[in-house]
Amino acid sequence: MTTEPIIRVEHLAKRFGTFEAVKDVSFTVNRGDVFGFLGPNGAGKSTTIRCLLSLIRPDAGKVELFGKSYANERSAILANIGSIIEKPDFYRYLSAERNLEIFARISGANVGKKEIAEMLDFVGLGDRGKHKVKGFSHGMKQRLGIAQTLLHQPELIILDEPTTGLDPQGIVEIRNLILRLRTEQNKTVVLSSHQLSEIELIANRMVIINKGKTIVEGAVQDLLDANDLQVRIETDDAGAAKSVIVAAYPTTDVTQLNARELEFPVHKDQVHLINQLLVNAGIPVHAIEPKRKLEDYFMNIISSEHVA
Amino acid sequence: MLLKNTWNEFIKILSKPRSYLGVGALTLLIGIIIFAMKADGKSIISFVTASFEQTLTFNGHILNGYLIAFIILQMLIVHVPLLVALVTGDLIAGEAAMGTIRMLATKPISRTNIVLSKFIAGAAYTLFIIIWMGFLALFVSTALFGTGDVIVLNSDGLVILPEADVLWRFGAGFCVAFLSLLTVSSLSICLSAFAENSIGPIVATMSVIILFTIIGSLDVTVFDSIKPYLFTTHMVSWRSFFEDPVPWSTIRQSVIILVAHNVVLVAIAIVRFNKKDITS
Amino acid sequence: MKKILPFLFLFALPLFSNAETADDILTKVLTKLNSVKDYKVSATIKANIPMIKILPNEATIYFKQKDKFKVESKGITILPKQGFTDINNFLAKKNYIAVINDTITTGGVKTYLMSVIPNSAGGEMILAKLWIDPERSVIMKSQITTKSNGTVTTSYTYGDQVKYGLPSKMVFEIDIKKFKLPKSVASDINKSSAEKKKKIGNKGTITITLTDYQVNKGLNDSIFK
Repeated sequence: MTTEPIIRVEHLAKRFGTFEAVKDVSFTVNRGDVFGFLGPNGAGKSTTIRCLLSLIRPDAGKVELFGKSYANERSAILANIGSIIEKPDFYRYLSAERNLEIFARISGANVGKKEIAEMLDFVGLGDRGKHKVKGFSHGMKQRLGIAQTLLHQPELIILDEPTTGLDPQGIVEIRNLILRLRTEQNKTVVLSSHQLSEIELIANRMVIINKGKTIVEGAVQDLLDANDLQVRIETDDAGAAKSVIVAAYPTTDVTQLNARELEFPVHKDQVHLINQLLVNAGIPVHAIEPKRKLEDYFMNIISSEHVA
Repeated sequence: MLLKNTWNEFIKILSKPRSYLGVGALTLLIGIIIFAMKADGKSIISFVTASFEQTLTFNGHILNGYLIAFIILQMLIVHVPLLVALVTGDLIAGEAAMGTIRMLATKPISRTNIVLSKFIAGAAYTLFIIIWMGFLALFVSTALFGTGDVIVLNSDGLVILPEADVLWRFGAGFCVAFLSLLTVSSLSICLSAFAENSIGPIVATMSVIILFTIIGSLDVTVFDSIKPYLFTTHMVSWRSFFEDPVPWSTIRQSVIILVAHNVVLVAIAIVRFNKKDITS
Repeated sequence: MKKILPFLFLFALPLFSNAETADDILTKVLTKLNSVKDYKVSATIKANIPMIKILPNEATIYFKQKDKFKVESKGITILPKQGFTDINNFLAKKNYIAVINDTITTGGVKTYLMSVIPNSAGGEMILAKLWIDPERSVIMKSQITTKSNGTVTTSYTYGDQVKYGLPSKMVFEIDIKKFKLPKSVASDINKSSAEKKKKIGNKGTITITLTDYQVNKGLNDSIFK
């Protein structure tokens, strides 16, 4: 994987009246990335993504795509991007095929009926091309939206909350589609979501924003490895176990969940030492459950931001 | 890209049920007028000629297709703006309401071209409405009532135009009527650029027309200075072609003012749409 | 007025003591007119009436005794309501008092100016003034005042058909004071209120030039249907 930047956002800011939607957002997306753009609802994700697509003019900061800026190369940039913002909206009174024809005609590429049919097949709507979109489920619209983003063979795909409102099966389908974009078509994908589980499963790099500011940016794996785990331990006597752990590690913030369970942060190299410590103290350990999910990390950051 | 998106706009207009609402309403209204004329046209004509007929007799084929076409135009030109605004007011705001404006504005087509293609498509729809109205008014009326001289009632009296001198007046009248309806189209597109749903621009367009028409018809001197610049004042300019002699300077002035309105309104729409943050 | 007229008649008698009476003259005129059983004539109609703009138009006029009358034209033509058959019909009824008022030269022709007043008040006509050429027994000018239509003055010029009392040209002068435009229809926003209120005259003329008379050729009644 190269590290050639395809998107460069620096100190982006946007205000709507008195409301500061984006205060200071910076990140870089490299060619070939599946880039996770994370943040809770209202963090400024959609505003940032809209700035990336020239839907919104930033008040300050720099947005550069493919080394170009919207000020003088808008068409050249947009010809290389496929996107779905929030939810894919189509002309309900037109068929799926006709909708794709309309967007293909202004995509800057030569897309014929054959390519449209192939794309409908790719997203699993091959038999629904002639049907009007008003009869489509949300999941079908989402898949049609992805077909629309890919029609003109763009280098960069930007998907804003692509799984919102989908049922579990729909979420899996879209997730698989995105993975295929990376593996089969070698696209760069920017994926915004407020669900870390989503990003954890498909992104290689990510940025987390909150309250209009960048909190952290980096490789998903690095962010996971650089942090302690949250461990839950089940014993016969949670109170005694807590005393033993605090005596050995006085700075550890141990939370007693109930009479039998404890939870505390710990580096992954120390998990077996704590187990040994408790066993040596005569406290049997029935279960150690390390929560290594990115979800916890995200929630910690968000909650610490809230405190701050 | 402009032509490609204009073609897209044609497809959208042709696929929207509301586009046919106007055509259907127009067909029905003209059908009703023609039926009324067939049933009781003579009494409608005598309403116009009554005060003259005490002294004079009018001979000849008065209730003919050309006269009925003129009456239809006179009656409907007030209502057609609503039918036009119904479609053109939806062109930008409708996309915002539907959410498709996001898709459109993230394609490699300039926002200026988006507005221009919508303006061209709106103009084509307006032209179609005018041609349809002309077809029904002229061809159906003349097929049913035949042709003949046209009696036109102007504010300074009756003008009786010879049959041979009528068709070009209709042609020119339709052109100026198109220009005035195009102004309605441009106004609604302009207002549409400021709105997020299509009801707003449609209602606002009709409100502006009603307001300006009222100002134009009030015989109050304070309004005299602005009246010549209200586009509604010039919406009846097509009628000037049915005066004798044709007041060319008045028509030229109307055409200039209507064209200026179109240019300004489209320019405002382009500037507004270019500056607009698409948050829908 | 009716009471005064017999006295006027008495005063007028000495002036024309050697001449024919008004009734004699009118009878001659009527006899001449009645010699026409029917006619067909081509007409060019020019109207010069304030508030009405119309180009000259061609028409064919048909007449058949005693009151069948028809105008046939390709386009729209305007004719005065009185003028063609009204005098004939009125005189034919002989229900009037006629008085010679004066002798006047009109259009180079010496005429008797006479007033003809209907005896009964039920008719439309109030007063007819006729300028009659006694030599040719034709009406040179008429001025008819009716209850509802105001006054119409007509000048007659004669040509080939003078022997039938049929004119070659008629000029109607009509009163347009009663002309009104329905406001709701006459919407003309382009014109300012000052323009709308510009003054117009009270009189208008309609000139009818009549050529190619076909007299007493036996017109079929079906023409008038």
